[in-house]
Amino acid sequence: MLEARGLCKSFGGKPALDDFSFKVERGEIYGLLGHNGAGKSTTLGIILGMVMPDAGDVTIGGVSVRKDRSLALRKAGAIFEAPAFYDYLSGWHNLRILMGYSGGFDAAAARVIVERVGLTKRIHSKVRTYSHGMRQRLALAQALLPEPAVLLLDEPTDGLDPEGIKWFREFILQLRDERGMTVLFNSHLLGEVELMCDRVAILRDGKRVYEGAVGGLHDDAPLFDVDFEPWDGVPALLHAMGGERVAPGRIRLPPAADPALLVAALVGAGIRVRALAPVRRSLEDLYMEIHHGAAAN
Amino acid sequence: MLFLQQLRGELRKLFARPRSWMGYGAFFLMEALILFVYKLDGSQRHMRGLMERNGLEFGTYYSSLTITFTIMLVSMFLLGSIYFALVAGDIVAKENEDGNLRMVFARPVSRLRLLLVKYAAVSLYTFSFVFFVGISGYLMAVLALGRDGGLFVMEPRMKVFAAYPDWWDGAWRLLLAAAGIGVSMLTLSSLAFMFSCLKIKPAAATIITLTILFVDMILQGFPFFKPYESYFVTWRMSAWVFFMEPHLSWPKLVEAYAFLIGLDVSLFTLGWAAFQTRDFKT
Repeated sequence: MLEARGLCKSFGGKPALDDFSFKVERGEIYGLLGHNGAGKSTTLGIILGMVMPDAGDVTIGGVSVRKDRSLALRKAGAIFEAPAFYDYLSGWHNLRILMGYSGGFDAAAARVIVERVGLTKRIHSKVRTYSHGMRQRLALAQALLPEPAVLLLDEPTDGLDPEGIKWFREFILQLRDERGMTVLFNSHLLGEVELMCDRVAILRDGKRVYEGAVGGLHDDAPLFDVDFEPWDGVPALLHAMGGERVAPGRIRLPPAADPALLVAALVGAGIRVRALAPVRRSLEDLYMEIHHGAAAN
Repeated sequence: MLFLQQLRGELRKLFARPRSWMGYGAFFLMEALILFVYKLDGSQRHMRGLMERNGLEFGTYYSSLTITFTIMLVSMFLLGSIYFALVAGDIVAKENEDGNLRMVFARPVSRLRLLLVKYAAVSLYTFSFVFFVGISGYLMAVLALGRDGGLFVMEPRMKVFAAYPDWWDGAWRLLLAAAGIGVSMLTLSSLAFMFSCLKIKPAAATIITLTILFVDMILQGFPFFKPYESYFVTWRMSAWVFFMEPHLSWPKLVEAYAFLIGLDVSLFTLGWAAFQTRDFKT
């Protein structure tokens, strides 16, 4: 549904994106992570045709943004961090104006969306009187009004309170379930990305340094917190299974290894097993490992 | 149809901002002030002398039409230009500065289409402003002097002198002149619009436009440049006064307005070329 191929972009000779490719299938939520300046917003800018890539292209529903931006964007909606509306107009007039550029304003459809995002009571108030959460709801309304197949979210939950973040997350997940909407989610909030996304890509200095399924984060690095006594015989048994001690009280086993076999071997060798608990590796751990690893290199 | 819907949106934005109304307010006050001055004895004596020296009857030509012409002649370039430059200089650059443009860029609309809609809004603002000045000036003059009377025109710089004793003749010429001022002022708006499309602050677009206009005007006044005056944009912009000549010189008018319209098209194209190739980072 959304595909980027070989995106390259430099600003003033400084590379912002370097051969970045990704593909998001229909109904998938894809997270884009990275430090400030990693290239996330540039990627979003290229998808929307706001930034011209030096090389590469993006297709939305098979239509090239470079070749036919208007046709490609008919299938897309976008929400930005701190959405800049016309503050001196009402939310309703903002929707009218923005929809004028999306093929026309349908008042009945707008009322349904406004109701759904919970802005009915304030939609005719000036936007300057809106809270940040209300602005984000209006942003959601303007993005959903053209009935997009692809939703592009650029730091949409920044500045929202915890209830607002939860509401937003549940709303997006519901949209995906109901309409099979494809979502590109660009955020600094790793916890949110982990809760929402099916797959993530991590960018560093414009290059993709990781791409994988969020659900599979724990499988490729089985770490365990352990408490064995005495320790003397443990290294040999670990070595025999292809494992290793990575820190005091923490071991790593090969991906295919069965920890029950290790326990049996330890007990058989007269070693007391007080604890053996898998370490849950969060997206944050992975992100930090990648960034610290890259920084060290 | 969709273009009209988009234009309506642009006009709604434009007229929802207080800065778009500042010019209307300023001109309204200035017109009231000019009328007050014209009611003073000293001012009337001056006008009487001027008319009678030219063999014209003061009672016929000291009229609401003559005062409306004078208001438009003395004020449009100096005061009107500020508001045209302000509004047209803002129309793209301010939206970029405020971040509104990226919301629009997320829609399936081409940059050319977006600029055409904005330029149409600026053009309508320019014409509506000129006609507001003309109509409000005339109505205020009618309140002060009454409806009757002819039109007396004297513009030594452009060498135009005319007198229309009949109200209808005078009103028709004034209407033509207002349309001419609209086209002239559109050149100024086009200049500000072009700068607004560049990667600069809205205030810079306004200031650069006014600087160019005033430098052009100052240089045009130098005796050295007298033989070359027709090369100055402000001289071309003053061509609207030719609509007041007793015998309309169409070749002269067509030449002046073809120059101005050609300049408008060139300025729009330059602005579009710069806008089209720009990156708008989120």
